[in-house]
Amino acid sequence: MIPFIELALNGIVSGLVIGLAALSITLVFGVARFPNAATGDVMSLGAFAALAGASASGTLLIGGVFGIAVAAFVSLACYFLVFQKLSSRPPVASLLASIGVAFVIRAVMGVVFGHQQKVFDLPLARPWRVLDIRFHPTDLKISLAALATLVAVFLILHATPIGRRMRAVADDPSLARVSGISPRRIMVALWLLSGAVAGIAGILVGIKTVVTPEMGWDLLLPAFAAAIFGGIGHPVGAVVAGVILGIVQEVATPFVGFTYKIALSFAVLLAVLLIRPKGLFGTVAGAR
Amino acid sequence: MKALTVENLRGGYSEVDILNGVALQLGIAEILVVAGTNGAGKSTLAKAVAGLLPRVSGKVSLGETDITRLPAERRARAGLGYVPQVANVFPSLTIVENLAVVEGVADRAARTEAMLTMFPALAERRKSRAGSLSGGERQQLAFARALMTEPPVVVLDEPTAALSPALVGESFERIARLAKSGTSVLLIEQRARQALAIAHRGMILDGGKVAMEGPAQDLLADDRAARLYLGQ
Ligand SMILES: Nc1ncnc2c1ncn2[C@@H]1O[C@H](COP(=O)(O)OP(=O)(O)OP(=O)(O)O)[C@@H](O)[C@H]1O
Ligand SMILES: [Mg+2]
Repeated sequence: MIPFIELALNGIVSGLVIGLAALSITLVFGVARFPNAATGDVMSLGAFAALAGASASGTLLIGGVFGIAVAAFVSLACYFLVFQKLSSRPPVASLLASIGVAFVIRAVMGVVFGHQQKVFDLPLARPWRVLDIRFHPTDLKISLAALATLVAVFLILHATPIGRRMRAVADDPSLARVSGISPRRIMVALWLLSGAVAGIAGILVGIKTVVTPEMGWDLLLPAFAAAIFGGIGHPVGAVVAGVILGIVQEVATPFVGFTYKIALSFAVLLAVLLIRPKGLFGTVAGAR
Repeated sequence: MKALTVENLRGGYSEVDILNGVALQLGIAEILVVAGTNGAGKSTLAKAVAGLLPRVSGKVSLGETDITRLPAERRARAGLGYVPQVANVFPSLTIVENLAVVEGVADRAARTEAMLTMFPALAERRKSRAGSLSGGERQQLAFARALMTEPPVVVLDEPTAALSPALVGESFERIARLAKSGTSVLLIEQRARQALAIAHRGMILDGGKVAMEGPAQDLLADDRAARLYLGQ
């Protein structure tokens, strides 16, 4: 029993991080209306930038802020350089372009940072033991950071003027325009926000495991799965689905083995698409 | 000066022209009814005025200002209110949020309260999602949203289509009051007789062209208009 609880706890932590990546995907999907395959690489970039920032400044906090800022601005730059120009074309054009953007970002990271694994320089901490269940303090911090990000995004979407307008554009872009809402301002906010969320996700993955140019790309498919599972365009759904996927993956590992845990998340995804095409949370806010 | 002037408007959604040279003039504090059969191009005309039609030529002026080149959001901020025929609220936003997202509102809190006073049915459900409203409530919310900026000109695309007969009269009364208070209304209506009864002028659109136009009373009295377009 104990190992299972430990695996489940671990699943919650990695699931929260997958959920953040899914949140970034679902935000873009809801407003800009395409699945952004560059999300994973913006994550990796955020992690590398945070590493660089942390080693330059000597503190993880400043490094983290730097990493988030770099991810947000690269995300915005991708919009201005690529996605804005494709916005009047079918979504598949933007999807294909985003795969291209992903390769470019990854190639640049490979050249600049190399392919060696890098790790965040964290003080070693002893795992806690409660009733024989081990839990790492770092995992708790990662979870809290992920939850705080989720709450912040939720507050931005629901309690700030720009967030409410973002939701209005997700609901109906034409009606938003005739309500005086400028699509351009919304897009700038969207790409900064989704980039920042991806950056945070990348940094947390980097802290939990290692940083490589491929780390984000490898997480892209589970993140897509969580976004679809949670109901595309549904931020809370994306995170809940991420956690469920994380737990399923971890708990199943002893049975199916490490290599197949990704395959398992796709079996879950497939099942959801067949049984509940709209995802866990029913309504589809963005795609109509 | 006219509140809204449209000259030689042509255009459509793709290569086909839906509008074939429409002209109209809407006086200040006037109600101009646009009637016509299904598919005549009434909603297309409204979209062209609002700035949502993909391809247009001709000229649209709001007061003295040429707004032909302005995108929809700038037209809205310049004082053009528009209530589309369908999809005229943000379904996943609450009633209050539907009003709050509108740009170009001077005193948002006061204006929101004014709208909720004008539409008491909305005030009771201010935290409900617009998607959960009835057709009639939705129409009221759409109207309130368009009025948030106190626009000098509003374009209403079949505001009574979803309403029960009892509410239709109420809705026309509200539109008449709005015009009395100085707002100019371009009113697209299938219930042409009832609409013309509160209007100053009317025009009938057919095949993307103006087939008839004139003072509301004259159109109501006209045999040909009655036979072809208004019903008995
Ligand atoms: N989004 C669109 N894309 C392509 N064609 C359209 C679109 N909307 C309308 N049309 C076409 O334009 C023509 C005029 O439609 P429009 O909606 O303006 O008519 P209408 O007079 O408002 O009719 P109704 O009384 O039914 O509302 C129709 O032939 C219709 O098929
Ligand atoms: Mg119509």
